[in-house]
Amino acid sequence: MSKIHETMKDRYDTPTEKVSLDVKDLKNFRYDMDHCIKCKGCYWVEHTYMPGIKFTTRCPSGTWNDFDAYQAAGKMRIGIDVQEGKLEWTPKLLEVIYADPLCGACDVGCKRNLDLEIGLTLEALRVKAVKDGAGPMPAHKKVAENIAKSHNQFGSPHEKRTGWLTADIKVADKADIIYFPGCSASYTNPEIAQATAKIINATGASFSLMKEERCCGNTLYSVGMIDEATEIAKRQVEAVRTSGAKTLLTSCAECYRMWKVDYPKMLGIATADLGFNVMHLMEFADEAIANGSLKLTKKVDLKLTYHDACSVSRLSDPWTPWSGERGWMGCIEPRLKRRRGTTGLYAQPRNILQAIPGVDLVEMIRIRENAFCCGAGRGTKEAFPELANFAAQERLAEVKEVGAETLVSSCPFCKNNFSQAAKENGEKLQVMDISEVILASL
Amino acid sequence: MAIKKDVFQALAAIVDPQYISDDPVILAAYRSGPGGYESGNGYERMMTKLPGAVILPRTTEDIQKIVKICHRYNVAYVPYATGFYGPRSHPHEENEVLIDMKRMKDFAFDDDHWCATIQPGIVYSPFQEECLKRGGYVVVGGGGAQTSVIANLICDGWSPLSMRIGLPHRRILGLELVLPDGELVKMGSLSIGDDGFWGEGIGPDLRGILRGYTGLLGCMGIVTKMAIKVLPFQPEKLVPGGISPNTALQLPEKRVKWINYQVPSKQAEQQAMYQIGRAEIAGAVTKVPVFWRAIAKAEGKEEFWDLWNKETPESVENFHLLRVLLIGYTSEEQMRYDENVLNDIFAEVGGRARPTKPSDESWIKNADSAGMWLMCGSYVSVDYIIESIPHAEAHGPCYADLKAKYTPPFMPDHGDPGWTMGCEAGHQGYSEFLIYWDQREDTNPVDQFYVETSKMNIREGFYTSLLGSHQPLYLTGPAYGPNYHDWLLKLKSTLDPKWVCHPPLPISHDVFVEKAEWMKSVKTWETPEEFPIPKGRG
Repeated sequence: MSKIHETMKDRYDTPTEKVSLDVKDLKNFRYDMDHCIKCKGCYWVEHTYMPGIKFTTRCPSGTWNDFDAYQAAGKMRIGIDVQEGKLEWTPKLLEVIYADPLCGACDVGCKRNLDLEIGLTLEALRVKAVKDGAGPMPAHKKVAENIAKSHNQFGSPHEKRTGWLTADIKVADKADIIYFPGCSASYTNPEIAQATAKIINATGASFSLMKEERCCGNTLYSVGMIDEATEIAKRQVEAVRTSGAKTLLTSCAECYRMWKVDYPKMLGIATADLGFNVMHLMEFADEAIANGSLKLTKKVDLKLTYHDACSVSRLSDPWTPWSGERGWMGCIEPRLKRRRGTTGLYAQPRNILQAIPGVDLVEMIRIRENAFCCGAGRGTKEAFPELANFAAQERLAEVKEVGAETLVSSCPFCKNNFSQAAKENGEKLQVMDISEVILASL
Repeated sequence: MAIKKDVFQALAAIVDPQYISDDPVILAAYRSGPGGYESGNGYERMMTKLPGAVILPRTTEDIQKIVKICHRYNVAYVPYATGFYGPRSHPHEENEVLIDMKRMKDFAFDDDHWCATIQPGIVYSPFQEECLKRGGYVVVGGGGAQTSVIANLICDGWSPLSMRIGLPHRRILGLELVLPDGELVKMGSLSIGDDGFWGEGIGPDLRGILRGYTGLLGCMGIVTKMAIKVLPFQPEKLVPGGISPNTALQLPEKRVKWINYQVPSKQAEQQAMYQIGRAEIAGAVTKVPVFWRAIAKAEGKEEFWDLWNKETPESVENFHLLRVLLIGYTSEEQMRYDENVLNDIFAEVGGRARPTKPSDESWIKNADSAGMWLMCGSYVSVDYIIESIPHAEAHGPCYADLKAKYTPPFMPDHGDPGWTMGCEAGHQGYSEFLIYWDQREDTNPVDQFYVETSKMNIREGFYTSLLGSHQPLYLTGPAYGPNYHDWLLKLKSTLDPKWVCHPPLPISHDVFVEKAEWMKSVKTWETPEEFPIPKGRG
């Protein structure tokens, strides 16, 4: 308790309240919703980095639909009405809540000044939508059915999950590293899984796969189906702990965020208490290049640009559970280290790409915490393909602006969404996963 | 609530269907509070309503059509640029049409005449970056980088960078205004063409109907286009660096530099400010509240209070720090000369330079006003005056005494006297007084304090900026006019006989005082038995 608090406490009449960061109860975020000031730091590119009159926003949903309701500032006000039961669950309300890739741009924007938990509030709104029987969207329910039935997003046969493996890939029965390709790389983007496996092999490290790999549950968690997602989290974490592996390595940004942030969040533990490391291929490759175990020797003549996938950047700060009390002037005890998106994988992809001979890396205008999301993740492309396409087109315009011939990302959701949008435009743009670029240099 | 079907249908014919809505979910997002400027206070709770419909025009013609329909059907409307800066830019009547202008983002830079012509959807930071690319700058108002440039310039527009050209209205050139009945008025050189380079224009200068020192929040019409003067800066790039929240512009030290000078007394502060203006050097001279320093240092709210808790009334009273921005407008030599002059001035007043980072975290591009809400959750700049430097310096301490009586609910600020700066090369002194509270406290005293500040200004002879739009007009008008209120109300009724444009401004604060029971004890001035508002309004 501060000295001011001690001396003044009798003169102030501030209520104290128990709060936690638990997304299962929207009430936990009432203070955050009540204190949004409409500065719209959630919407604009951080002003220090504002590039000029073009490419000024970083909020895909707020850029897609101009009403305030589609920006976090509007959603905080709507959230208050939802919590108080003043708004009914209508198709419009569901659209406002779900037409949003939960990319975290609003959260880091707000945490520049106000430290409001915008991202968690948006997640809690979805959990409430499901709890109230209104959410998720029909397309999400289909994904959930697929996962329940065949343990992957697409409803593809479970037994074909390892179909990406080729004869030249060495997989150990047991190893310190478990590689978790995720649904996309297992079924729709085998090139990513193959490239990742070959990169690990090239370093001399060995890796194994999970005994029975299943979907990470990203869509379930992201759309508010927290009970189903929690069951998956328990199973997955237990499986890795039992295996004795030290590292769980992903090549998918969404899987990475699930393992590193959302599993601990759902299980009520800290990322550090998982019992193993969660690592994206980019961290692994960056370290391997630095220690000499990965040699990038082949020239790759590409003028490329890198897209910061949200789930390996601003959404990927480690999780620590917190509960406590909020009191005088809104101060909380015990102290909380806020997740502001500062420890995202910003340097690693750039280190890697710059280490590849022949690569000409040009930066886009909105990068790192200011990157404009591709719009596909966290259930968006399934339920709102037009928003996903809009966001991708916005980003492709930026790629064109900087004159890149190849767009590189670290997430299959980004790759597929950009590829589809570029194809629609008839563009020659090449879209690659970073694993493919690394492999091309080996 | 929603507006009548026939009105909605008439409005819906103006824009594509996706740009108009009366859906309760869409409307709920336009609520003024509960957070934000003046958050949680009585004015916000009693005077603001959800809109009955929201419409997103794209052009001046769209706006003309919208207001003509509103005028015909006698439906109130409010222009809305970004929604920042609180309850006074939100609907005050049930079933009002909110005209959200964020789609109006036309921007044309005139490289020959060194100005830019913009629509209301343009905010400061993109505008500033376009200026910086060309070696120019615009004064990003204290309202922040995220404010609409037009809204800020007709309401406020002050910042430490006002040192060169102070009065914000002198940066407003050609202008286009849609009157409350839909008639279009073009001012300055826009009246004879598309080029807004010149503001004085033909005939009487009508820019004054939009603002005095501060503006009337759109109640006299909607500005749809404005040409704004761009000021010469210097050619070197200011390079952004860091990861949010720790970002800053790295300054080219030989051309742009902040220097903090500690001086021994308030008199020394005044003297240095005056001499800097007299010497016509520097791009900014400002004395910021001491707690802003703690905000800048703190990693979060709790750490702010840890730092602030180390201060005492004595340490605050004896802390005299001037921040000076030096700009080598023409050359490195010029900047060296300015720095030498500056050092001479501070040597004379017994000041000394303190180590200062070669970066700009605020003011030049970011003007990070959102940080004001960190400490307590609620904030307002309750007043600002623009007068002589000594007058500005006297304003803050006077306020601090009054504020002490209202603490709590205000934060314990150890008597900090607020923010002072020199403007217009020292011809003006600016003082802004800021208050902070937790909106979960009883906020009635905040409302009372607001009005007491007006009385204090009248009593002490401070030349306040906030007359009609933020204070009771019948309190301030007779004191500053003596017929300012009559004149303003005649103008309002002439331009807007039905009072459809953002009613009940400019007497909204008067209406609030009448409505709020807890304001009775501070109401000591005369008002007419009935306000001169058409029946059914206000």
